Amino acid sequence: MKWVGALLILAASTWLGTAASRLLHERPRQLRQLKAALRVLEAEVMYGHTPLADAADRLARQTAAPFSELFARFAAALNAGETSAAMAWEKSLRAVWEKTALTQGEFEVMLQFGATLGQYDRLTQQKQIALALAHLEREEAEAVDHEARYAKMAKSLGVLAGLLLVILLM
Amino acid sequence: MEAVWGMLPKPIAALLQQSLVGPHEVEEIRIRISRPLEVIARGKARLLPYEVTKEDGVHLLNKLSHYSMYAVEEELKRGFITIEGGHRVGLAGKVITEGGKVKAIRDVSSFNIRIAKEQVGIAEPLLPYVYDGRRFRHTMIIGSPQTGKTTLLRDAARLISSGTNQMAAQKVAIVDERSEIAGCVKGVPQFSFGPRLDVLDACPKAEGMMMMIRSMSPDVIIVDEIGREEDSEAVLEAANAGVSVWTTVHGRSLKDVWQRPTLRVVMEQKVFERFVELTSVPRPGSIRRILDADGSILYERAVASR
Repeated sequence: MKWVGALLILAASTWLGTAASRLLHERPRQLRQLKAALRVLEAEVMYGHTPLADAADRLARQTAAPFSELFARFAAALNAGETSAAMAWEKSLRAVWEKTALTQGEFEVMLQFGATLGQYDRLTQQKQIALALAHLEREEAEAVDHEARYAKMAKSLGVLAGLLLVILLM
Repeated sequence: MEAVWGMLPKPIAALLQQSLVGPHEVEEIRIRISRPLEVIARGKARLLPYEVTKEDGVHLLNKLSHYSMYAVEEELKRGFITIEGGHRVGLAGKVITEGGKVKAIRDVSSFNIRIAKEQVGIAEPLLPYVYDGRRFRHTMIIGSPQTGKTTLLRDAARLISSGTNQMAAQKVAIVDERSEIAGCVKGVPQFSFGPRLDVLDACPKAEGMMMMIRSMSPDVIIVDEIGREEDSEAVLEAANAGVSVWTTVHGRSLKDVWQRPTLRVVMEQKVFERFVELTSVPRPGSIRRILDADGSILYERAVASR
């Protein structure tokens, strides 16, 4: 009986450690995806003059989860007749954010970016996208750094903490 | 009309729908911020008891631009947006200029929704005057605003591209700078036309006419409202390339057209073989006179009360 309990504790703490490390791995990957999506949006705005709803629809099909859901929700909100693009963006962002590995800092960047959506002419819109990209770039550098530093550690820490607990309880 | 109702803020759409007896008779809906709503139907203006709020204006502009100002940059420069169904929304407000040129309209305070009408068959009486059994003559439709020039031109495009019992369909090319003739949405015409029709949507007239001649080999080329110098040149080019040109011009009569300095060249060269003068009395689209190249009257509507 004792051994079963010890194994359960070990399994749980190992799982926690891997989850934390996966989050650290995911963050730079998702940031890259988000950056790629913004670049596509920029192309749609600059060369296609595509309205936001259509562009978001296209992005929803091109990107992977969870951002595909973000853009799909955004497009749906616009087509449903939301009062403003910023509002639609904020709502979809809040609904999807829990599912991403991104942090509060990135949330603020995306929120600010959303407030500019569809408000300006093409050149200004392009500048706003570039600004958001620059912010994300910085976040990505930080995320990569964190990943290298803590990802492995989180994993081993999980296992070791479990072992410690088991030893203490034995 | 559905496209228009979907565009309007809900209180306005509801009020309009209940206060109009025949919604298909609306010609214009005028929305001015902080002023009552105005509707023009059957030539009569009516003010409705509803004061338009600022939010209504923002909502309408968002809907018109599909929440994307950058997508309607050109339209804001020109002062109107064409929506689904070929309806045109004119805008007025604070203009931003750059280097003396209009850059955009910001803080839009007035919207004028002009309902596009399709009147199938109104061009048919023209046929004996403009068709010589083989080709269509170069024709200019003259009329003041709201006399139904574009509606007539649209039906002419339909007629020529679908043909009748006495006349085989011909290849028609429309260069639709304001997206008004064909009312394209994403490049697809919204009105009923014949099968032999190609549309170059939202393309500048002068350039578009040359593109169409080179690429689509049309029999008849249709453009709306020529007025600028380069338009005249393009009309001359097209006419000399063996393509029949149909166009509209603002003015009350042929005399007015002669007064327009930018059209001088075209008029002096006697390019156009038929002039159709329109009047809004008794109703828009009524043909007042048809004249030939020398200005002799081929047809004049009997006027009883003038």
